[in-house]
Amino acid sequence: MPPLLVAAVFGMMAALLTTRLLNRYRLSKYFFYPPVVSLALIIIYTVLIGTFIIGT
Amino acid sequence: MLSAKAKESIKTALAMTIAYSIALSMDWDRPYWAGFAVAMVSLATVGQSMNKAALRMFGTLVGMVVALTFIALFAQERWAFILLLSTYTGFCAYMMSGSRNAYFWHVSAFVCVIICMDGGPHAANAFQTAMLRTQETGLGILVYSLVTIFIWPSRSTTAFNAASADLATTQLQFYRACLGLASGQGGEQEAQQLSAQQVQQKAHFDQLLGAAETDSYEVWELRQPWRRYQQQAAELMHALERWRESFAEVQALDLQHLLPGLDAFGNELDRRLLQIKKMLAGHAPDQLPLVVDLSLDKDAVRGLSHFDSASVVVTRDHMRRLEQLTRSLFESASEISGVSKASASADVPRTSSSALVLDLDRMANVVRFMAIFWMAWLALIYVNDIPGGAGLVSMGAAIGIAIANMPQVPVSKLFMPAATGMLIGAVLYIFVMPTLSSFMGLGLMIFTATFAICYLFAAPQQALGRIFGLVLFITLASISNEQSYNFLSVANTAWMFSLVFLILAITAYIPFSPRPERAFLRLLGRFFRSSEYLMSAMRQDIPPPATRLELWKKTFHAREVATLPAKLGTWAPHVDAKVLSGTTPEQVQALVISVQTLTYRMQHLLEERDSPQAQLLVKALFEEFHAWQLGLQAVLQGLAENPAGAESSALRVRLDSVLERLEEKIKGALNKPAEGQFSDQDAEEFYRLLGAYRGVSEALVDYAGNAGAIDWVPWRQERFA
Repeated sequence: MPPLLVAAVFGMMAALLTTRLLNRYRLSKYFFYPPVVSLALIIIYTVLIGTFIIGT
Repeated sequence: MLSAKAKESIKTALAMTIAYSIALSMDWDRPYWAGFAVAMVSLATVGQSMNKAALRMFGTLVGMVVALTFIALFAQERWAFILLLSTYTGFCAYMMSGSRNAYFWHVSAFVCVIICMDGGPHAANAFQTAMLRTQETGLGILVYSLVTIFIWPSRSTTAFNAASADLATTQLQFYRACLGLASGQGGEQEAQQLSAQQVQQKAHFDQLLGAAETDSYEVWELRQPWRRYQQQAAELMHALERWRESFAEVQALDLQHLLPGLDAFGNELDRRLLQIKKMLAGHAPDQLPLVVDLSLDKDAVRGLSHFDSASVVVTRDHMRRLEQLTRSLFESASEISGVSKASASADVPRTSSSALVLDLDRMANVVRFMAIFWMAWLALIYVNDIPGGAGLVSMGAAIGIAIANMPQVPVSKLFMPAATGMLIGAVLYIFVMPTLSSFMGLGLMIFTATFAICYLFAAPQQALGRIFGLVLFITLASISNEQSYNFLSVANTAWMFSLVFLILAITAYIPFSPRPERAFLRLLGRFFRSSEYLMSAMRQDIPPPATRLELWKKTFHAREVATLPAKLGTWAPHVDAKVLSGTTPEQVQALVISVQTLTYRMQHLLEERDSPQAQLLVKALFEEFHAWQLGLQAVLQGLAENPAGAESSALRVRLDSVLERLEEKIKGALNKPAEGQFSDQDAEEFYRLLGAYRGVSEALVDYAGNAGAIDWVPWRQERFA
């Protein structure tokens, strides 16, 4: 299975958790366009997980 | 004694086991396709199951023919092939959300994708795959049909008779509640409850009529009067609503005095609805409809202001419409009960087709489905060894088309049923299936697992869980004659479903935000934009629509205004009051009702504008009407930009001043012409138009009042969906 795919799925889950927390504490209202923030979080988490967890 | 849900679960489990046993004994490849057919067509009654089975079979046949045609035409051209396939499935997605045969379009789309994905890479196998899919779907349907007919057959007739009796009773109660409101008695809340109940019961009746036509010869024989009754009951429902919405303007008036025959008229309608109820219960009517008159007391009406006279004329028109409808309903009910034979005018009137009028929400569903389909396809092409392979596209299309047509359902709601189904399937595949050595054991396992899933998810609101549970059990177990066990196949399937959910989550924002409050605001904006367009199209200083494009635009906006309140109603329960502080579900509901009222008033105004008018009076008051129209247009334009942008008290003051000014002008206009120039007919036509304008204005004031009670700030704040 491609490592990037595994990292992407875990990245997606981490981003989902982060967005839930941001909603819970009403911090999401400070973002201009949350869908793009979601996407950015998925990419950041995917790269981090792919580099430091799966990549090692 | 077994419960109904136990019996239904046993029937589905038995059909599933028999379908598998036949497919395996015939050594057919992929016997789980027969299992899928059983899982999908199993419904509460024989009629419902048969209807769904017919739609699945026809959908499979059409999907198969289309897929083979695409493969034959573009076997070597990958992009042309997928472009055409996505266009066809997109068309199915559009048709699915507006059709009575939604399941046909759903099946047609995903069967086409399955055969194309299976046969595309190996074109030689395409025909075999298509035939296999068709024969196994046919097998599943045949087996389930025989099982459901011979074992504990549950016909729709009893439920259908109960549904028709309930609808007739509620319509009678609603009529009585409305009559009470018109005479200043009775509560608005009771009428509101009965109205909601009526809508639900009508939907239930519609659903069961199709099923009862299939599994009851008696209903099939009388299908024409039943279809006519269905249409008339829907018209009565709308007429009662429109009548109820007109009470605000007449509540301060003494209607008994103005309409001397009101009591006799009201009693006659009550009697008719009671007789209809009796006839549907199988009894003969006590008496036939009587001729009743609802004339105005001209002397009493002369003492009213012109606007009050207009309100009385409008209310009387609504009641006359009710009289016509109850008479037609009585005729249909007497034909159904065998009291009278079909009359010459018994054909169901054809409703105008709106197939060519674009529906923006259905287009939005297509855009989302396209995004799902293309994302899955591009992942298949560009990601090496993607879990599921071509199955990712097939499964993405099958689930995606259903999800795209239910934008109110968040993707997260599907996660639990899918995870439960996956767990059951994985446990059986890993721990139970390797220990089995004959069909006796395998059959017992299929029966037990199917029974357990059907029994645990038996309630109608758990249908999604039941379907996901059965589909994932069937997919993960992947039973075949050459059974192999490999943990990787479970892991791959689980990954594939995770990827499908990932794609669904990513595409949730395409083309619009999935947040219910955003969808609500968007629909409100569209509603007022269309209302504003219709209002501008009614202006007398602008020539009426003449070109095809202009006529199409008018039809499009009229359809938008007619359909958007119902769409708002589907989003309203999903608006989360916990997240939106300062908003209660009751406030949202009240807002939807006020939008519905505005629709009725706009439609009334459109009808009055299209009907003959007292031209002399209209011309004499042209400037006043023109100013009123421009004022309404400006308010609607403002609301289109900001649905909370009108203040109720300011609108009320403006409306009162308009009414006062017009009252004076009308008096002057009526005094100018020579006596005898205006007939009573002219005056009534003019009052109808006047009442229609006032109705729209009053509805706008009511809407602004409801909108003003809501705190809109949290609605506009950004939030992750």
